[in-house]
Amino acid sequence: MAKESFDKEIQFLRLLALTGGGYDRQQFAGRLGISVHTFDKTVRRLREISGDADFADLFRYGYADSAEPVLLFLYRAKSMKESESRRLPLILASLKQQPLTAAELLDACCQQLPAEAAMPDEKTIRSDLRYLEEIGVVRRQPGGRPFRYVLNNDLTDCLSQKELIDLYEFVDIMANTQIPSVQGYLLRDNLKKALKSAVPEDDWNDGLLEPFSYKYHYDARILDEAHLYTVLQMIRLRKRISFQYFSPKNRKSYAAKDTNPLFGRENEIRRESTLPLKVVYDHQYGRWYMIGSASKGRIVKFRMEGMIDIAEEQEVPEPYFTQKTAELDERMRCSWLIDTGETVTVRARFYRPGREQADFIEERVRLQGQWGEIVEADEESFVYEIRVNGVTEIRPWLRGFGSSCEVLEPAALRQSFIDEWKEIGDYYDASI
Amino acid sequence: MTHPFEKIFSYQLSSQLEETGVYTLTSQERSWLKSMLEHPAALEALEPRTIAKLRECTLDDELPDLTGGLIEKAGSREVQTVHPLLDPIRRILRHRQGMTIRCTTKKGKLNDPQPGLPCKLEYSMVKREWYLHWYNSRTRSPMHTRLAHIVSVEETRMSRSRYEEMSARAQKLSEPPRYEATVEVLRIYNAELTRILHAFSCFDKRVEFDENDQTYRIHLNFSGSESQFVLTKLRFLGKRVRVVEGEYLKWRMRETTRKALALYGVEAEAKEPADDGSGEQTAAKISS
Repeated sequence: MAKESFDKEIQFLRLLALTGGGYDRQQFAGRLGISVHTFDKTVRRLREISGDADFADLFRYGYADSAEPVLLFLYRAKSMKESESRRLPLILASLKQQPLTAAELLDACCQQLPAEAAMPDEKTIRSDLRYLEEIGVVRRQPGGRPFRYVLNNDLTDCLSQKELIDLYEFVDIMANTQIPSVQGYLLRDNLKKALKSAVPEDDWNDGLLEPFSYKYHYDARILDEAHLYTVLQMIRLRKRISFQYFSPKNRKSYAAKDTNPLFGRENEIRRESTLPLKVVYDHQYGRWYMIGSASKGRIVKFRMEGMIDIAEEQEVPEPYFTQKTAELDERMRCSWLIDTGETVTVRARFYRPGREQADFIEERVRLQGQWGEIVEADEESFVYEIRVNGVTEIRPWLRGFGSSCEVLEPAALRQSFIDEWKEIGDYYDASI
Repeated sequence: MTHPFEKIFSYQLSSQLEETGVYTLTSQERSWLKSMLEHPAALEALEPRTIAKLRECTLDDELPDLTGGLIEKAGSREVQTVHPLLDPIRRILRHRQGMTIRCTTKKGKLNDPQPGLPCKLEYSMVKREWYLHWYNSRTRSPMHTRLAHIVSVEETRMSRSRYEEMSARAQKLSEPPRYEATVEVLRIYNAELTRILHAFSCFDKRVEFDENDQTYRIHLNFSGSESQFVLTKLRFLGKRVRVVEGEYLKWRMRETTRKALALYGVEAEAKEPADDGSGEQTAAKISS
């Protein structure tokens, strides 16, 4: 698990992204379950990272069709020692010139570091190289000792300028339209630099980097990718996990660790333990769920945003995992989202727009109606039918069509639509 | 282990590296790219030769495939991720030139070629489709066309000064008027606040919390063409929210409920055409 926890920052940024910075400090701190002092400290730290003096504005203006993911800077928050932040750039810059050994790199560092800085030893350089090799940034050249290291930028070095432009645009599109996307955004930022160094200054055109625009994005989705890999990794290793869970119904989304044991008990949050089976991304709201199997084999569902302090637990036998996953797949076959309740047939009549208009209703039903089918159609309307687990999750979608959708079955759902439209109608009659 | 919180991504390091022109590529990024190369869109966006080279460079980055544990739900069918017209239009945008564009109408009728200026390529996550924002220099109006409706685009050369002049005019026109509305969360649904906020999170908004009456109000700011999607979200959330400011949205919600109830025969009213006009037309009516 990550040594440095960003749980507090993630909760904070989510709240900020969702509310557009509308709370005052007191309200913010209250919701995060931290003191105003800690709140101020977190804001200072995040400001420093984002490089923006007034970052609440980031969430307010031009937010809807921004191509730059405002929350990406969270992933640039990992702190490093001052000495490290001076040494690593020197190592990387030297390796860009030519392949070098650890000893040669030590010389290069000692020559270039300011005289007052503490000089690294060869052991430190070796451990830096080990880290860089591990994350794939440098690679050892074939041959015997002493090993020579080289910057591993083959990916961009092997491309022509035209190919690099194509790749930049492809990565931009995929990072914005697919999940997961954090690595794609990080790669895109590096490709920008690659383009800048590949194109001669005289030919440079800022238009090369102007990204496409993306409308109706759920920006907060990338915050949950922080835990995504941990959970996916545990699924792959068939391991149980334990974590603190804050239900979305809980007013506080984060609780600071209590230093005063007297107050500890009251704020103690129970740790959940589960075998993770699947992670589900919900496009309807831009949220993530983790579905798992609890101790007695019960299916349990958690919102990823409520999970913090995840810890690795015991491994389960492969046949057990396979059986649980197969059971879950079967039960989720008809889930609009994640409902594993009883399967029902929902039938609804959709009314086409007037004859002079293009039929955007049918288009939308076909686009968003998942595995449901159009079973009857005439010039004015068509009937859509779907077998789905429970009606709760499909309801909002059907209601979103307003008076273009009439629920036919089940009868109880039809009646509840009538009741709800009446109730909503009352909101507005009163306001005349 | 794959983890997006790496020292190498830290702002401290990248700000130091910025001046040297050095950049780094990690296994994480390469294996992300590797999985994206499997997507059918890769074949449309990249030359087969480029794909072969990229595959070669990502061979060693065999990070365990974790995507087996990941599923997506309730998304729109992915109709179009890249479009063949993206490349030629981007080229015209880069050259800062004009174009001759030929489109069909929504009903499929072919229009005459029009002169204009491309402004912006935009992807809608809801429609899962690409759009071109452009300026029609014959009618002097801002346009918004699905790439699927564009039959052909050709670059037309123009002088830099003419381009600048036209671009400035297009810029001015392409900023549509914006509207404000306030949506209140009914207090009994406060427990569902995060769900509600998530639903509105793709809009320009500000949330206000009234401590005294424990009420959340969401101040939305949107353009005319977005108003249809705002309405869809309001209906989507149903009785949890109520429009308290914004006459147009109130009127549309009133109309929706009246017509919806008529469908169920609750009020003795004749069926009227469905109330779900397209975005473009609502823009004109919204000024009330």
